Amino acid sequence: MKIRRLLFVVIVVALALSACVPQAPVEEAPVEEAPAVEEAAPAEEEAPAEEEAPAEEAAPAEEAADDVCASDAFGCAVIPAGDTIKIGMGAPLLGDYSMFGIDISQGVEVALVGDDGFEGWSYELIAEDTGGAPEAGAAVANKMVTDPTVVAIAGHIFSGSTAAAMPIYEKAGFPMMSPSATLPELTEKGSAVFNRLAFTDATQAKFAATLLFESLGVEKLAVMHDGSSYGQGLAEGTKAVFEELGGEVVAVEAVTPGEVDYIAPLSSIAAKSPDAIYYGGYAAEAIVMANQWQQSGLDGVILFGCDGTYGVEFTDKTGPNGEGSIAVSLVPPDSAEKTAFDEAYKAAYGMEAGELSAFSWSSYDTGAVLIAAIEKVAFVGADGSLYVPRGALVEAVRTTDYEGLTGTVKCDDTGECNASGPTFYVVTDGEWVPFVP
Amino acid sequence: MRTTIKNGIRFGAIISVVIIFFHLTGFSVVAANMIGGLFGNVDKNTALAQLPTINLAIVISLIGLIAGGSASKNTKTDSWTNAIVSGTVAGAFSGLFVAVFVYLIGIANFLEVDLRSYLPEIGPDNIDYLLFGGKASANFLYLGLLTISGLAGAAFSKGIIRANWRKQVQADSVQSFNAFIQKPGIQKVFNNKIVVYAFLAAAAFLLYFLPTKWGPYWNFIMGTVGIYILLGLGLNIIVGLSGQLVLGYVAFFAIGAYTFGLLTAPEPHAIGMNFWLAIVFAILAAALTGVLLGLPILNLRGDYLAIVTLGFGEIIRILIKSDMLTDFTNGPSGLSDLVQPKWLGKTFNDVNYFHLTVIFVIIAIFIANRLQYSRTGRAWLAISADQTVARATGINTFKYNLLALALGAAFAGLGGALFASRNQFTGPEDHILMVSINVLCLVIVGGMGSLPGVVVGAFVLKGVPELLRDLENYRLLAFGALLVMMMVMRPEGLWPKGRPEMETLYYRKHPKDSPPDGEVQS
Amino acid sequence: MSEQKTTRDQPSLNVGKLIRWIAGILLLALIGWRVYQTAFIEGSYGPDTWMRFIIAGLIIGGMYSLIAIGYTLVYGILFMINFAHGEVMMLGAFGGYFIFELLASIKAPSVSDPNMNFLNAYPVISVLLAFIVGTVVSAVAGLLLERIAYRPLRKAPRLVPLISAIGASIFLQNAAQLLFGPQRRQYINPVILWRGTGWSIPVGDTTVLLTYTGTLSLVLSALLMIGLFLVVQKTRLGRSMRAVAENKQAAALMGIDVDDVIGKTFIISGVLAGAAGVMWGIHNGLFNHYVGFLPGIKAFTAAVLGGIGNIPGAMMGGMLLGLLESVGPAALGIDFQLKDVIAFTILILVLIFRPSGLLGEALSEEKV
Repeated sequence: MKIRRLLFVVIVVALALSACVPQAPVEEAPVEEAPAVEEAAPAEEEAPAEEEAPAEEAAPAEEAADDVCASDAFGCAVIPAGDTIKIGMGAPLLGDYSMFGIDISQGVEVALVGDDGFEGWSYELIAEDTGGAPEAGAAVANKMVTDPTVVAIAGHIFSGSTAAAMPIYEKAGFPMMSPSATLPELTEKGSAVFNRLAFTDATQAKFAATLLFESLGVEKLAVMHDGSSYGQGLAEGTKAVFEELGGEVVAVEAVTPGEVDYIAPLSSIAAKSPDAIYYGGYAAEAIVMANQWQQSGLDGVILFGCDGTYGVEFTDKTGPNGEGSIAVSLVPPDSAEKTAFDEAYKAAYGMEAGELSAFSWSSYDTGAVLIAAIEKVAFVGADGSLYVPRGALVEAVRTTDYEGLTGTVKCDDTGECNASGPTFYVVTDGEWVPFVP
Repeated sequence: MRTTIKNGIRFGAIISVVIIFFHLTGFSVVAANMIGGLFGNVDKNTALAQLPTINLAIVISLIGLIAGGSASKNTKTDSWTNAIVSGTVAGAFSGLFVAVFVYLIGIANFLEVDLRSYLPEIGPDNIDYLLFGGKASANFLYLGLLTISGLAGAAFSKGIIRANWRKQVQADSVQSFNAFIQKPGIQKVFNNKIVVYAFLAAAAFLLYFLPTKWGPYWNFIMGTVGIYILLGLGLNIIVGLSGQLVLGYVAFFAIGAYTFGLLTAPEPHAIGMNFWLAIVFAILAAALTGVLLGLPILNLRGDYLAIVTLGFGEIIRILIKSDMLTDFTNGPSGLSDLVQPKWLGKTFNDVNYFHLTVIFVIIAIFIANRLQYSRTGRAWLAISADQTVARATGINTFKYNLLALALGAAFAGLGGALFASRNQFTGPEDHILMVSINVLCLVIVGGMGSLPGVVVGAFVLKGVPELLRDLENYRLLAFGALLVMMMVMRPEGLWPKGRPEMETLYYRKHPKDSPPDGEVQS
Repeated sequence: MSEQKTTRDQPSLNVGKLIRWIAGILLLALIGWRVYQTAFIEGSYGPDTWMRFIIAGLIIGGMYSLIAIGYTLVYGILFMINFAHGEVMMLGAFGGYFIFELLASIKAPSVSDPNMNFLNAYPVISVLLAFIVGTVVSAVAGLLLERIAYRPLRKAPRLVPLISAIGASIFLQNAAQLLFGPQRRQYINPVILWRGTGWSIPVGDTTVLLTYTGTLSLVLSALLMIGLFLVVQKTRLGRSMRAVAENKQAAALMGIDVDDVIGKTFIISGVLAGAAGVMWGIHNGLFNHYVGFLPGIKAFTAAVLGGIGNIPGAMMGGMLLGLLESVGPAALGIDFQLKDVIAFTILILVLIFRPSGLLGEALSEEKV
């Protein structure tokens, strides 16, 4: 048994060592590699970890770079010539929610690939799988902050994963821009790095409830959600505002996401004869509901969705059943930029933008906003490397003022960047058209 | 000869399915890129159009080599002709099938049909590349490459890997290594306290200094591995020692995490308890849940217990995120800003957390080890061997099973609390069924009932998927395949439990009674 | 028969047993009282709503039953939980989908409509073809699964094949995502089987819709189950299966090729899962690579509920689970979010009182 115990210890140590091998070159790099950066080493080399010792790293570079980087709160990211400027992302790329992650990564990718680069550096998206789990979000964040050439984060995608990752980016000074994390608390914590394009649940709920009560004349509303923090936030917000306005909420029901039969909960709501059902959640469930509307005895009741239910997928897969449904979107009806994006997306991935999720367009804007911010602060040092001061970049993203596909992107001081407010759409003849009260 | 050819055809069919699968999932292109990375003829910015087609040829040839090698191994009479024939036939047949497949996708490209709405990885550019840059002769290239590499693989396998001289050398070296280990002098060295302590000191040194060197990412991953070791040790008590199949282990993990979270998070209750006290409460709450759950259901057998506990795990998760309990548990948003421990006025950073996890793991291993060889452990052993007989010998099986469940739950509670505190967040999505399944897998992959097995299993289950991150989206695919392969090749686990201690001790004292197969040395 | 088994328990257990019974009876009384309240006192739902609940429950229950039978068959013979069974169903759903897409792209112009496609011109043949392809795909997948992942583990400890099955499940899910993409797909049915159309049954002053797709699923599940029952009870293969389930060694001695029988069992369970997958697609429409996971877990629960290894038990368990899910929350006046909580609580209650499921274990009497 002694031998076995010894072997056990040896194996543990060996495994621990082997696990650390991939990281080893980077860790031992800082001192030896500094000269390599100075000589504008070829692309293969990983630049040293910047945020740990900014002053030391910048020493061989030009005076100006030295000053900027030394005075920056988080130092500079140094990107050697021939390497790429990396934008990180934590997204569910595998598993049940992979269509969101894949769509958003493709949207950002279109923005990055479509850009002709900055001073000879091109952009690269590093999308890592989180499976949607908060824990994996933190793991990905930890991985991102150890890569010295990652300068900004597009995401994360889900609120849970974002919440878990935020403290890590906060410490390292990585600006975040999420196209889809809507949990109100995310911007209430006073984070300097977190920004989002998606409107918070509270804003959307206010507009939705007002529209329902005032323009549509709904008196009895039923509220449903998918049990996610996103859906629940929307549903409860809408309920609160609607009741404040003087309407009556006859039922609140949550469903299990990922299922294909919601006849039972819908029938139970139908028994309370509401004028409209507000649903907070994603297209997958909304499609099923729209298709089972009649079977549940809900003829003539309006299905009122949110920005998660908007998209080509809804109209494609509900056909006549979806007629008259309302949803919210950031996307403007039509513009030359939107058409160009749609074509680029189709050419690159062989599918329509919006087929996988409703976030294709806002993820393009996410990429574009980050690029604009990087180009504002980045500069080429005397050694031929690109310097991106991290603290300044965080500031630049927060002070963005950008005209994108989804309207004006302009962040307030908490990081809410969607300045244009929601647009409501209604399905008419199988197409989403802007809602006119 | 006929069976040889048949064997070759069979392997050829299998290999062609593999290659077609690789083509369809886009893995061939990714592999070609990786090969390029090894040879340095590809850099990060290389577009598909510039990817050298020679890389694809290398990938295909490598698969062909493996095909030929394994086909030649399966021939009944191990002669040169048989090996070569079956290797070549395997290569040629796989080449034939793949050639037909490539021809078909080539037609799609020729007709300008975009297959991507059904098979997203087979876009026009990919097909062009898979046709070696749109060559019409690509079919023959595949056929030729695979036949030749199949032949070469068979020759290599027969001539070098399975050559007689090698077998001899291998056998000799194994024998001499065993003899070396058995020598009294060597045994003495291994049993020497000083050597043991030196090893332990080296391990402690490494565990102390590595985290400061390898950065926050590996601290996080290794911390997760540590937490899974804790979970594995707990489930090992339930499944490995007392022999009850529990599929809802995550329930105890969730209860630990949420007890900790509710006691320390600023929202929704703002109790603001101290870290150490909250950990104790988390452990107690989980253990108590174990007892309460165990009381009514522990007399259920095998798979019934499995499904009931699975149901219990789901019930806990659904309740946590339900509207009904949102005011109490914060619902789907989860708990954030949990308290972190302080030591001498300093809040823990990632390195301290790793150290803390290691300390907990060492304590847990110590406890589990003592338990295993105590009277209780022997009772569990008896129960897992045969419940009825154990009962007949006077063991109160219900009591011991309940104890196992409570102890296992306590370990999970500790793991959950540590997990929540380190992440400073815990939400319902952290407590899904897959956690239970992962922990069960790690216990069995490591070797049921074996403590070092748990450690190895945790590295494999939580460490390997992270190491596989370079495989991008093929990560989980590879992981699933690895899991099956590991089980098929080593069903007893990577580090199986030795014989029961008592028996071994007996044989050591009475060497004359040893069984003839000499298995005693465990 | 489960009564006898429980009395075998130690005397010291009797106190625990008494507590269990008392707690169980109290709980049942509570449930009964709650149902009585919602159904008769509060009267939240009219008869039309109840009928909708029941129809939805039966349809989903039929599919659960088909999948559950797959679990039960394999369990009855190998005593292992075939965790990848849900993925076998998923592959069947893909098989049927591709047939529908293929047939829809074939033109079959008729006099009345020059743009007619094959799918709408010959709907019966199309649906039949989809079922055949779906079941064949699933049967082949089941067979391969057994060959590659389970057969080498025939003599391994009991939990090892379970882990192998979990690995296979992860592999198949991700393989399907990589092969066919992450997006949700939707069956485009022939027009006569359009989802959401059906017979209107007048109930009181409203009507309840009984959909064609739902009826098709229900009838087909019933037919398949009857067919399976006949196969197991009347044919030579069924006799061999029961013999193998009883005792593998004895069966081998009697000249039964055990491996062959096990392979055929996997084929049968694959056929049922494939049929369930195609039905899933035709009735519910949406599916993706993940579609097998939840129904798999549910069907496993159903199999245990009915008594694992017992074919009528699996049918009953599936139906009961489907009904519980749709009627349960309404009857108890609880959120629909908690329907799984109700289902699992009932399962636990059932197992506390009948430790080997509602109908007991039947395929064989052998216990491990």
